[in-house]
Amino acid sequence: MDFTLKIWRQENRKAKGRFETYKISNISPDCSFLEMLDILNESLVDKLSHPICFDHDCREGICGMCGLYINGHPHGPDSAVTTCQLHMRKFSDGETITIEPWRAKPFPIIRDLIVDRTALDKIIQEGGYVSATTGGVPDGNAILISKHKADEAMDSASCIGCGACVAACKNASAMLFVSAKVSQLALLPQGKPEAAIRVQNMVAKMDDLGFGNCTNTYACEAECPKQIKRSNIARMNREFICAKVASEESTKR
Amino acid sequence: MNTLDSKIPEGQLSEKWTKYKASQKLVNPANKRKLDVIVVGTGLAGSSAAASLGALGFNVKIFCISDSPRRAHSIAAQGGINAAKNYQNDGDSVDRLFYDTIKGGDYRAREANVYRLAEVSNSIIDQCVAQGVPFARDYSGMLDNRSFGGAQVSRTFYAKGQTGQQLLLGAYSALSKEIKAGTVEMYERREMMDLVVVDGRARGIITRNLQNGEIERWGAHAVVIATGGYGNVYFLSTNAMNCNGSAAVQCYHKGAFFANPCFVQIHPTCIPVKGDYQSKLTLMSESLRNDGRIWVPKKIEDAVAIREGKLKPTEITEEDRDYYLERRYPAFGNLVPRDIASRAAKERCDAGYGVAPSGYGVYLDFKTAIERLGRDKVEARYGNLFQMYEKIVDVDPYENPMMIYPAVHYTMGGLWVDYELQTTIPGLFATGEANFSDHGANRLGASALMQGLADGYFVLPYTMQNYLSDQIYESKVSTETEEFVVAEKSVKEKLEKIMAIKGEKTVDTLQRELGHIMWEYVGMGRNAQNLQKAIPMLEDLKKEFWSNVRVTGDLTSLNPELEKAVRLADHIELSQIIAKDALQREESCGGHYREEFVTEEGEAKRNDQDFMFVGVWEYKGKDQEPVMHKEDLKYEFINVQQRNYK
Amino acid sequence: MKLIQFASITKKIALAAFGLFLLLFLPVHLGINLCLLRDDGGEWYRNASHFMGTNYIVKVFEIVLLASVLLHICLAIYLTIENWLARPVRYKVRTKTKTPFMSRYMIWTGGIVACFLVLHFINFYFVKLDLVEGKYSASIEQVDKLFQQKAMKLQQGELNEKEQAALMAQYQAISQISPEKMDKSQKNMVNLTKEEVIQYCGEDFKHVEPDFYTMSKDLFANKTYSLIYLVVFVVLGFHLYHAINSLAQTLGLSHRKYSPIIDWVSIFYAVLVPLGFAIIPLWFMFMN
Repeated sequence: MDFTLKIWRQENRKAKGRFETYKISNISPDCSFLEMLDILNESLVDKLSHPICFDHDCREGICGMCGLYINGHPHGPDSAVTTCQLHMRKFSDGETITIEPWRAKPFPIIRDLIVDRTALDKIIQEGGYVSATTGGVPDGNAILISKHKADEAMDSASCIGCGACVAACKNASAMLFVSAKVSQLALLPQGKPEAAIRVQNMVAKMDDLGFGNCTNTYACEAECPKQIKRSNIARMNREFICAKVASEESTKR
Repeated sequence: MNTLDSKIPEGQLSEKWTKYKASQKLVNPANKRKLDVIVVGTGLAGSSAAASLGALGFNVKIFCISDSPRRAHSIAAQGGINAAKNYQNDGDSVDRLFYDTIKGGDYRAREANVYRLAEVSNSIIDQCVAQGVPFARDYSGMLDNRSFGGAQVSRTFYAKGQTGQQLLLGAYSALSKEIKAGTVEMYERREMMDLVVVDGRARGIITRNLQNGEIERWGAHAVVIATGGYGNVYFLSTNAMNCNGSAAVQCYHKGAFFANPCFVQIHPTCIPVKGDYQSKLTLMSESLRNDGRIWVPKKIEDAVAIREGKLKPTEITEEDRDYYLERRYPAFGNLVPRDIASRAAKERCDAGYGVAPSGYGVYLDFKTAIERLGRDKVEARYGNLFQMYEKIVDVDPYENPMMIYPAVHYTMGGLWVDYELQTTIPGLFATGEANFSDHGANRLGASALMQGLADGYFVLPYTMQNYLSDQIYESKVSTETEEFVVAEKSVKEKLEKIMAIKGEKTVDTLQRELGHIMWEYVGMGRNAQNLQKAIPMLEDLKKEFWSNVRVTGDLTSLNPELEKAVRLADHIELSQIIAKDALQREESCGGHYREEFVTEEGEAKRNDQDFMFVGVWEYKGKDQEPVMHKEDLKYEFINVQQRNYK
Repeated sequence: MKLIQFASITKKIALAAFGLFLLLFLPVHLGINLCLLRDDGGEWYRNASHFMGTNYIVKVFEIVLLASVLLHICLAIYLTIENWLARPVRYKVRTKTKTPFMSRYMIWTGGIVACFLVLHFINFYFVKLDLVEGKYSASIEQVDKLFQQKAMKLQQGELNEKEQAALMAQYQAISQISPEKMDKSQKNMVNLTKEEVIQYCGEDFKHVEPDFYTMSKDLFANKTYSLIYLVVFVVLGFHLYHAINSLAQTLGLSHRKYSPIIDWVSIFYAVLVPLGFAIIPLWFMFMN
C-alpha cells in the first residue's frame, strides 16, 4: 500500500512547527501504524535527516504512551484501539494521512509528535490514591466488595492515561481521565474515607492546569481506546456535589 | 573480590526472614530524613520500593525513562499474581508455593530467597487490596482465583486480563502519594547513563535528560536498580520498546557481578512474526491455556496445505489433530510450565508441522471450550484478549483457532544480589526483573508481579536499612567530587564518540542483526557449535557498531536514534556474556536448553552434579575476558528431583 | 483567566441549574400561549397575562427567571471562552469523532435563541416594563360600568369642578372612538395607545395593562415574524434535545436503570415543547 503522510514537525517546545509531506510505498496491510512510521524513520535516517519523534513503548495497547491524532481521530479511525494497535489495513491505498500531536494547553509539544502529559500525573498526585502506606493493612478478604461494584471499579480503572480523551474533546477537558480514577476509588470501600476531599482536590488541580470544561459532548467516550464510559463523569459530578454540600472538608485554593 | 557472600541468615528456612528482621539494624526517623536514596526505574519493583522508602521517611529520588511511571512494562502483565492465601481451600500453603517456585525454576534458585518470596506473597495481596486495586471478586464479595501453569492449585489473583496494569497503578498511586507528600522526587524522561562509585560504594548516578540531552549528576547514600530485564537483546520480544538492560550493564562495568545471564524465558503463547517490518511481539496471556487446547495437524501434508493457504484449520477433523501437550504431558496437559510448552512448540515446528506461513506457529483452539462453556463465558473470561488478537491478526478467534508461537519474554538472569538484594557493590541494590534471585532457570506464570512487589514493598525497605544504618555518619553526597566529574566526562565522551561514527548502518539494522544472531544461535535450542559461532559474530557486530553505526540528530535535543544506539552498545556486551554463560552451562535446565543434553525421551536433562550453581560474571575491563564465579546452591530443605509434569 | 474562582464542575452545575429553571418555565409559558388558540376573544389569554403580570409570587419568580436567563447566558459564554483557551492551537483536520447530534453546537443554538429572546423582550416584556410603546385595550363593559358610576356621582352632585371637566372630556373621547378600534365581539376596544386608554377610560385606568393578546395576534399576522419564530423554535428544539440529558449528566444523575428513562424524557420534551410553541404561528398562518 502507498500513502502520503502529512506530519507535524516541531524542533522543540518553543520552535514554530510546520507540516511536512512524505511519501511512503510498499507498506503491508498487516503493518501497524507505528511500524509504518518506523519504516519511514529508517528511510529518513538513510537520508541523514532527523527521524520523526513520537512516543511509543509497549506496542500492545496498554502502556498509554503512544498517541497520535490521525485524520481527525485520536488513535486513528479504528475504534477501541491505541495508535500502536492500529493497522494499515484500516486505511485505503493511496490515502493521504494527516498526523498531528495531541493539542491542548496543558500538553505542550516536546518535539514533533511528542507532547508532555505530566499534567495527568499531577492530577493523580492530588489524590488519585488511597493513602495506605506499606504494611499494617487488613486481610484482603476482610473487606467484602460486591462483584458488580468490583467489576465496575475495574472498568473505570482500566484507563491507560494516554490522554486521548483530552485530545478528542473540543474543549480539551480531562474529565473522563479524572472521573475514571475518582469513580474507581468512589466505588470501592477502600476509597471512601478520602472520597470527599479527593474529588475536590483533583478537580481543582485539573482546573488549575488549564484543561477545559466538560460540555457533555462525549467525544472522549467515543475515542477512548479502553472504552471508559461517560457514566464515570456523571459519578464524579455526583461525588463533587455531595462533597461540596455534605462534607466539611474543602480544597484550599 | 572473589567471595560471593549471599548473607543467608542462619536457622530453619521458615524462620530465616523473621530472624533477619528481628536482628537487622534500623535507622531512626530523624536520621532517615538525612539519607538520600536513588531509585532507577518506575515499574512494580521501582515504584513500590520508592513509595515504601519514601513513606519510611528517606529522601527518595526516582528516575523514569518515560513520561510517567504508569508506562513501565509491568503494566503489560496480563494474567495475575500468585499468593499462598489458600482461599480456595485446595491445599495451598507458603511451603507449597515455595516448592512450586523452586521446582518451576528447575532447582536453580536460592532456597532462602524463594521461601521469603512465598512468605510475603500474602501481604502483597492485602497491600494491593488496601490500595484499591480492583481484583476480581466472586458473588460473595470475596477475592477470586484462577489457576496458572506449573501449579495444581488455584492461587492466582487477577484483575480481568490487566492484573499487571492494576498492580502497577496501585504502586504508582502509592508513589504519587509520596510525591505529593514531598518524600519522593520524580524525574521523568531521564535515562541512567552511568553509576558513580566512590570509595567502593555506590554514591550516585549520571543521567541524560531525554528531552534536551542534558547530562546530570545525582548523589545519594544508596542506589536501587529496578530497570527490568534485557529481553530486548533478542530484538523481537514481548518487552516494550524502551525496555533495556543498559543500567544493569553500567553497573556490571562498575563492578557489580552479573548472574545467570543465559536464563532467558521464552513464552509459549505469543502472536507469530508476520514480516520484516515487525517491531515487537505481542503476548497472549498464559491464562488462555486454562481453556485453550494447543495442537498441530497430525499429517505433515495437512500442515503444508495450511501454510500454503489451501486448507483451513477448521476443516481438519479431530482425529487428524495432534494435541501434543496433552499427548506428552497428560498430568499437566496444556498447563505445563512455559519452557516446556515453548520447546514442545518448537519441536513440532522444526519437525515440519508448523501452521503459520513462515512455518513457525501452532494453534491454540477454543472450540472445545466454547462447546463446553458457551461463547458468553469464554467471552467473559478472555474477551479483551480475543479482541486484541482480532485487532492485530484480523482473524476472529471465536470462529478460528488462534495462531501462536514462543517468543522471548522474561529474563531470569540479572545483577547478582545477596539475601539483602545488595549487589557486589555496597550500596547498590537491585530489585525485580533486574536481579536474578528468585526464579532460577525458569519463572512460573504470575510470579514476576509477585517478586517485583515483594522486593519493593516488603524486602528492600528492611534490608536497605541494614546498610543505611551505617551511612548516617556520611554527610550529603557531593556531586562535585572527582568521581562524578570523571563519570560525567566519560558519558559525554561515549555519546560524542557514537555521534562521530557517522557510518552506514542504522541502529535498527544493527539491532535486527543482533536479534537474529541471538535468536538463531542463543535462542530456544542451544548447542555448543552454535554458541561458539555466536561469540565471534557478536564480537564482529560490536566492531561494526563502533565503526559503522549511523546516528542522526544532535546531542542537545530529543534524539531517539541516539537513545537506541546507546542501549544497543550495551546490549551487544550483554549478549556476549549471555552466549558465554550459555556455553559454559553444559546441561539443560529451565529456559536454558542445550540440545546435547536431553533424556532419551527428548526432555531436558539437568546436571545437578556439576551445575548446581549460579554463574556469576565479573567484568574485567574493556577487551578483557570476563571471569565467571560460582555461587553454589545448597538445597537443605528441599528434595531435588527431576522435573516431571507427565 | 480565572476570574471566577469556582471549580469547573461548580460552574457547570450552576449553568445546568439555571437551565433547569428555564426548562420548568417553558411549559408554563407554553400553556399560556396555547390560550391564544381558544376562540374566546382572548379572555383566557388576557386573564393569564393579568395573573402573570400582577401576582406577587409570580413577580418574585420573574426576577429569579430573569436572573436565570442572564446567568445561563453569561456562564455559557464564559465557559466557552475558557474552553477555547484550553486549546490555543487548533487541529488542522477537523474532528471526525462521532458525538451526539447537536451536543457540539449548544453555544450556537443557545446564541440564536438568545437573539430571539432579545426580540421577544422588545415585543413583550419591555412593553410591560413600559420601556417600549405597546398596544392596549379596554373592556367596553368595564368602561361603561365605571362611566355609569361616575355619571351617578355627577347627578348626586358629588363631583367637584375639576372632576366634572375630566368626565366631560372622557365622554367626548368615548363618543369619538372609531369603529375599527372596536373588536368584532364588541367586548373590547383594542389597538389603543396608553394615552388613548387613559383618555377614553379615565384616570382609573392609569395602571392599564398592555394587551398582549392583540399584540400577539398582530405579530403572528406578520408572515416574516412567524417564520423567524418557527425557525427559532426548531433551533430551541435542538438545544433542548441535548439539554435534559446533559443536565442529568452534570447533576450526576446517571443510573443503569433510570438513565434510559431520562433519555426518553429528554427526547419527548425536546420535541413536544417546541412543537407546542410552533403550533401557534402555524395556526395563525393556516387556520385563520
